[in-house]
Amino acid sequence: MLGGGMIIGIIAILHVFVSHFGVGGGLFLPVTERKAYRENNPALLEYVKSHSKFFVLVVLVFGAVSGVGIWWSIGLVNPEATATLIHVFVWGWAIEWVFFIVEIAAAFIYYYGWDRLDPQTHLTVGWIYLGAAWASLFVINGILTFMLTPGRWLEMRSFTSAFFNPGMLPSCVVRTAVSVALAGVYALLTAAAVRDVALRSEVVQYAARWLLAGTLFIPPAGLWYISTLPPMAREISMGAAPAVTIFAGLSIFFSALVVAFTYFGPYRHPRYFNLTFAFLLAVLALSTTGVTEWVREAVRKPYIIYNYMYANTLRLEDVNRVRQQGILASARFVRRHAVDPQALVESGRDIFRVQCASCHTVNGYNSIRFAVKGWSKEMIEYQLLHLNELKGFMPPFLGTEAERKALEAWLASLNPQPRVQEPQPPGEKAETQASRPAGESKP
Amino acid sequence: MNPVMPAPVPVPLPAPVWLLQLLLVFTFVLHLVPMNLLAGGSVMLSLSSFLGRRDLRHREFARRASRVVPPVVAFTITFGVAPLLFLQLLYGQLFYTSSVLIAWAWLAVVLLVMLGYYGIYWFGMQHEELGPRAVWVILAAAFLFILVAFIFTQNMSFMLRPQHFYSQYLKGEVGTSLGPLTTASAARLAHFLVAAMAVSGLGVALLSRAWRREAPELAEWARGYGVKWFMAGTGVEILVGLWFLFSLPQEIRGMFLGSDKLSTAILVVAIVLALLALVAAPKSPAASSVAIVGTISLMAVIRHLVRVTYLHPYFDPRTLPVQGQWPVFVLFAVLLVGGLATVGWMVYVFFRPVATRATSE
Repeated sequence: MLGGGMIIGIIAILHVFVSHFGVGGGLFLPVTERKAYRENNPALLEYVKSHSKFFVLVVLVFGAVSGVGIWWSIGLVNPEATATLIHVFVWGWAIEWVFFIVEIAAAFIYYYGWDRLDPQTHLTVGWIYLGAAWASLFVINGILTFMLTPGRWLEMRSFTSAFFNPGMLPSCVVRTAVSVALAGVYALLTAAAVRDVALRSEVVQYAARWLLAGTLFIPPAGLWYISTLPPMAREISMGAAPAVTIFAGLSIFFSALVVAFTYFGPYRHPRYFNLTFAFLLAVLALSTTGVTEWVREAVRKPYIIYNYMYANTLRLEDVNRVRQQGILASARFVRRHAVDPQALVESGRDIFRVQCASCHTVNGYNSIRFAVKGWSKEMIEYQLLHLNELKGFMPPFLGTEAERKALEAWLASLNPQPRVQEPQPPGEKAETQASRPAGESKP
Repeated sequence: MNPVMPAPVPVPLPAPVWLLQLLLVFTFVLHLVPMNLLAGGSVMLSLSSFLGRRDLRHREFARRASRVVPPVVAFTITFGVAPLLFLQLLYGQLFYTSSVLIAWAWLAVVLLVMLGYYGIYWFGMQHEELGPRAVWVILAAAFLFILVAFIFTQNMSFMLRPQHFYSQYLKGEVGTSLGPLTTASAARLAHFLVAAMAVSGLGVALLSRAWRREAPELAEWARGYGVKWFMAGTGVEILVGLWFLFSLPQEIRGMFLGSDKLSTAILVVAIVLALLALVAAPKSPAASSVAIVGTISLMAVIRHLVRVTYLHPYFDPRTLPVQGQWPVFVLFAVLLVGGLATVGWMVYVFFRPVATRATSE
């Protein structure tokens, strides 16, 4: 029932929300610790200690395991794209793994080291954590932006052309700013729980400043990032696909709400700030993260690796071959390697599994049964012939004409009472479908 | 019958196969050490938490050891990432297919690990508050980790049998299957788990050294207790190892019984090192550990040879195109050395003040 995309989405959004805190919190901890030493403020130091426990429990466990979880889910949902990324970036990931080791070790030593290390060494460990955490963001960010803006890699096919892609730098600035802002969001959560009123006000206002400072850099960096996007991706988010546009709008709206609430709440009136408010702010920030990441994923459609691989894992370089030989011929896990006129509907179902199931389920998330509900056979045929033109975020149907007919037959069989014709058993339906004159396949 | 499996992706490998295989085995050894300590340690702690309701030594042992486990989980996970990366690079089309066929179980690993990890923190951070209930927390965590080990063993065994992919697919069990439950996969799981018990015993014997100043009696007891686990575990492991060996297909088993001289020699050396570790354990757990890390490393090599031989009729990564990304590889190697040195320095400064404190007392 759950589509693969939804599973990836849930894990990824939660991971992004926590892992950016993993970086921003890595800056927040040593900076605040140093502040406490400089101001000789033992109460603030106690707060930093308790915040570091929260940090370890959230980042080291949830952050680390959910990061692995993204990898798990993309491998299951889109093995072909995952394998491609791993082939291109294995050393990038290996480098990120080194930073990950340093990060984990530093986090533990920072957390367990409060009473064992002298302040200077303890701070140094904090800075090492920050360096490693930010470096792992830097590496993974390059791999992530590659998917949307692969740039010169499409011709050069080298690691550097893939990693230093057009979106890499602006996205890195956006994510760094988001990390700082999220450090503030999480600090507000622990700050709101401080018992001492004076300290609570001080820390709440201080945390709010982090949030506001971080968000200050997001709009310019975000615009810079958007300027590097492929034109079609920009169009999708600005009107071409209503759902994406709505979500893009929500992203801006939620961000504005977070800033307004933070400014008028914890920043201006820290005394009235409490845990409920902090929690609501965190939910709002999570929603912002969620819709923004969703838009970022959505604008990449119809590709999973822009101009290289469609969302259904068909490579652009294979398009002509698939058009000539058919999708079933090269598919592995299908019962038939060519359309069986005796079992047109079943052949169509196989084609759906190979070509459409990366994004659609039959009945659940992004349900195809729902999508074609009420469509006549002619409508289905028209849609399949012009899929990429009618829906800019979808790849064209790729396959032979017989395969398209089979898919049409299966799609028509999903809703037993289509609008324009009498109910028929699927077998018969399939036959009538096959005997109809064929249209031209769009290039 | 020709196996049904996807073609490898048409992007060249970024380094020669031997180097990737070397890194695969090396990083897998890095993963194996904490993984053994975690799987075996959580079982040992469950038992001690249970016995600790009556026995003070077990209770104190569980309390002290509980603090050490969270980093062990962290490093099991972290060190597990790299071998899985190289595995996907070399054998992706096999690994992804078996993973998709057992998708729900495979995806559940993420949740099970997270729950187990939080359980370990709960056990460590709230040990006193939990009191006698601690045993349930650690038992649940141990169960979750063993379940993860089971799912891993299934997937890693299943990916070696591409001839079963299509039949599994035709059964309509995409995603919900656990993969074929064979004697070989059962023996493989047992081989891992018993080894984990033995290695954890040795780990406890080593850990006890850290308690020598603060709790000399407990340290002495824990050392003996750990050595006993190690010796018993290793004894059982030899039997389980034989079971595993004889559960393998004849052709593969034969390699280690003389038909391939190098494979046989590696197995013999691995067993001799384990026997040496057994002899050394009562007097010097440290020396014993060195020998057992040798055994673990050779066992990882053997595991790799078994994999290569299983897959030989279907796929050999040496047939894939290679286009070395050497500058990035060098950067990785330099950063790895630098990163490990940084970790070494942090570990050093972490333990240094304790030594200073202890001598000044």
